[in-house]
Amino acid sequence: MNSEPLTISYTMNRLNQLFAAKKENLLSIYYTAGYPALNTTVDIAEALEKAGADFLEVGFPYSDPVADGPTIQHSSEQALINGMTLDHLFEELTELRKRVTIPILLMGYFNPIVQYGIERFCKKAAELGVDGVIVPDLPMYEYEALYSTHFINNNLSNIFLVTPQTSPDRIRKIDELSNSFIYLLSSSSITGGSLQLTNSIEDYYKRIKAMELKNPTIIGFGISDNATFKKACEYANGAIVGSKFVKLLAEDDYMKKIPAFIQNIRP
Amino acid sequence: MKIKVCGLKYPDNIEAVAALKPDYMGFICYDRTPRYIDTLSADALATIPASIHKTGVFVNETAEVISQLIDQYGFDTIQLHGDENAEFAAAFKGRVTVIKAFGVDNDFDFDKLNAYASYVDYFLFDTKTSIYGGSGKTFNWRILDKYTLNIPFFLSGGISLDNIGELKNITHPQFYAVDLNSQFEDEPGLKNIPKLEKAFDIIKNRTLQMKYGVNEHGYYGDFGGAYIPEMLYPNVEELRQQYLNIINDPDFKAEFNDLLKNYVGRPSPLYHAKRYSEKYGANIFFKREDLNHTGSHKINNAIGQILLAKRLGKKRIIAETGAGQHGVATATVCALMGIECVVYMGEIDMARQAPNVSRMKMLGATVRPASSGSKTLKDATNEALRDWIANPVDTHYIIGSVVGPYPYPDMVARFQSIISEETKKQLVEHTGKELPEYVLACVGGGSNAMGMFYHFLDDEQVKLVAVEAAGKGVDSGHSAATTFLGNEGVLHGSRTILMQTPDGQVVEPYSISAGLDYPGIGPQHAHLYKINRAQYVSVTDDEAMKAGLLCSQMEGIIPAIESSHALAQLEKMKFNPTDNVVICLSGRGDKDLDTFIKYFGY
Ligand SMILES: Cc1ncc(COP(=O)(O)O)c(C=O)c1O
Repeated sequence: MNSEPLTISYTMNRLNQLFAAKKENLLSIYYTAGYPALNTTVDIAEALEKAGADFLEVGFPYSDPVADGPTIQHSSEQALINGMTLDHLFEELTELRKRVTIPILLMGYFNPIVQYGIERFCKKAAELGVDGVIVPDLPMYEYEALYSTHFINNNLSNIFLVTPQTSPDRIRKIDELSNSFIYLLSSSSITGGSLQLTNSIEDYYKRIKAMELKNPTIIGFGISDNATFKKACEYANGAIVGSKFVKLLAEDDYMKKIPAFIQNIRP
Repeated sequence: MKIKVCGLKYPDNIEAVAALKPDYMGFICYDRTPRYIDTLSADALATIPASIHKTGVFVNETAEVISQLIDQYGFDTIQLHGDENAEFAAAFKGRVTVIKAFGVDNDFDFDKLNAYASYVDYFLFDTKTSIYGGSGKTFNWRILDKYTLNIPFFLSGGISLDNIGELKNITHPQFYAVDLNSQFEDEPGLKNIPKLEKAFDIIKNRTLQMKYGVNEHGYYGDFGGAYIPEMLYPNVEELRQQYLNIINDPDFKAEFNDLLKNYVGRPSPLYHAKRYSEKYGANIFFKREDLNHTGSHKINNAIGQILLAKRLGKKRIIAETGAGQHGVATATVCALMGIECVVYMGEIDMARQAPNVSRMKMLGATVRPASSGSKTLKDATNEALRDWIANPVDTHYIIGSVVGPYPYPDMVARFQSIISEETKKQLVEHTGKELPEYVLACVGGGSNAMGMFYHFLDDEQVKLVAVEAAGKGVDSGHSAATTFLGNEGVLHGSRTILMQTPDGQVVEPYSISAGLDYPGIGPQHAHLYKINRAQYVSVTDDEAMKAGLLCSQMEGIIPAIESSHALAQLEKMKFNPTDNVVICLSGRGDKDLDTFIKYFGY
């Protein structure tokens, strides 16, 4: 195992520029590449940008998505049946930067990346204009000690998750290792639940806010409408909508409905 | 494992040692040694944190002086290192913790401890010398097997960085603490801090010294680790921090061993299979895990983890199961402890293992179908992990094999290691020596195999053979032979070898045996495979079924189809007539009767 020392020497990528320019009510949308059909990834991204989304998370599917609820499990399964692979996704993304200017993150589980080759994955993603990655099952120790150099060398931001159970020390460490934003989970849950504002969750948001982290924070998991979006934006710089948007993709004529969807979340 | 650092006398050095947080610090109040504390001021001890026991060490001192020094220095523990009799020790019991020390040599008569049993809290075994310890030499630790009382002991005498790794060979359930003294000094009474730090590291992670064991980050070579989403981090981190302390605690060991003996029915016999021996031309032994309560080795791990869960204050247990053996074992121990139990099982497995579903329900467990993905074991594991994400505080996840994020692979291996621990002793009875030529076991996730290999890993001359399920043939597209068909990746939280597509999607395996129908192997197996410490082979459905029938009719034992895979491997091996061969008979075939009946048409 190689564990070279970690040096953070990024140049600003699109994510950093976005967060420098805009500090409130940022809206990000997650969707699974290859769902409902192949060759829709860039079309959907373009439509979301036009509708006003600030940045996007493009999921690449995995057979065993442990951190996901039924909606994203289903979209992943269907995408795999449709034939989505990392190779295919990278092919679709060759025209990404001709049509889309907002920041793009790839989100998925670690095993497909290991098979593709971690270094090769980072190079290829960066080459196509991807700005960062979210790999839920690549935790801090393994990232820092074993793999971080590949991400850093390719100027890809790695986004860490924080839950209500994450200790303050660990949050500080995550803040140090991050260079674009920190992904706050609204509760300890898989995707697709609904944001529940109990006192303890509000306390958790307040606690994080009071830590004055150097990175912006974005809240995800359970954001599904204007009310939950607004609530999240009281405590963080923005929020991410996932399962709710994936459900829209199951409807007929979903491309036409994207502007209204974004309008509803953030009028 | 607790640590005592003994023979301190200099204030600065006392402070530095206290910062390492040993469990005991010993101060020698006997004027005929160079470590005598002499005029040491009581203030030097006042800054020692309350969590560290301050121990006064006395040699044939009067009760009055001991009493006075207890008060003067604030000792909460005394160590009687001379010829004090039981009544003398009894006078202090209750006021302070009492340790009675003995010098041990090969002729030591452990019966003389009986008189002290009710009056002391601990014994300490030191190397016998004419001058009450301090020899810098070790004694023959094997002699400790003769010690049978229920009082925990400290081990002392000549422990150094050179021999500290051997401590792992002492599996005595009452082994409580290690006493570090003369071999960690720059001069008598002055401890060398870096040396102590190294020793603390090794003792706190006893496997670190095991050549094939896990390192402090959870890796076996390139494999292992904890590839889990942040949502699971607190659960797994809590386990990581606690598991060694808990399972090395004498109370835990006593309860674990009691349940293994009186509830599970251990030790399981090591049976010399005479007709098999004749047929295969070697001494064949079956390690009879099939005779355990609930019918397989899975119960060893379930007992260990339920006791651990109790000590972690957990109120709810979840588990995954494929064939239902681990689910039944978990439902059983939950019933035993009166703890709520939810077992996840793939929808397809629920249909094909219906009797075990009924058993779990009868034991009071809730069985939840896993209806995602391929609806089998790997999906049941996913559902259990999702449940754990949603219930991070009150729930413990009892994983059924040596898989999952660190510390599970190491923890489950330790609970299953009882299999090889017993085997070594039983082999001495049968053959006069503790090492066989071959050890065989089947591998699903790998827990019975790891338990069977564990205490033989460092004995390089013992050939270890792990048998995977080839299903309808390694190249048939219907197989579970992971090392043949898989490659490196990440599955269920650890870096290991798994069956997958070129795009990294997990492939659904196939075997007639539901217990071997798993797409990965535990990370320690992946390591043993990669470095060639064990040989990984595979056996088809047909070969295994034939072996199951043969064992039934030649030895009167109907084995589980999983275990039949290990038996089938015998057909493919060449032995010398003097070879001793141990096969782990991981489970009994009752659960497989339907499959046997359908296959053979009985
Ligand atoms: C009897 C028996 N043997 C072996 C196994 C395989 O598991 P492992 O490889 O963890 O021992 C099982 C699993 O259900 C089993 O029931």
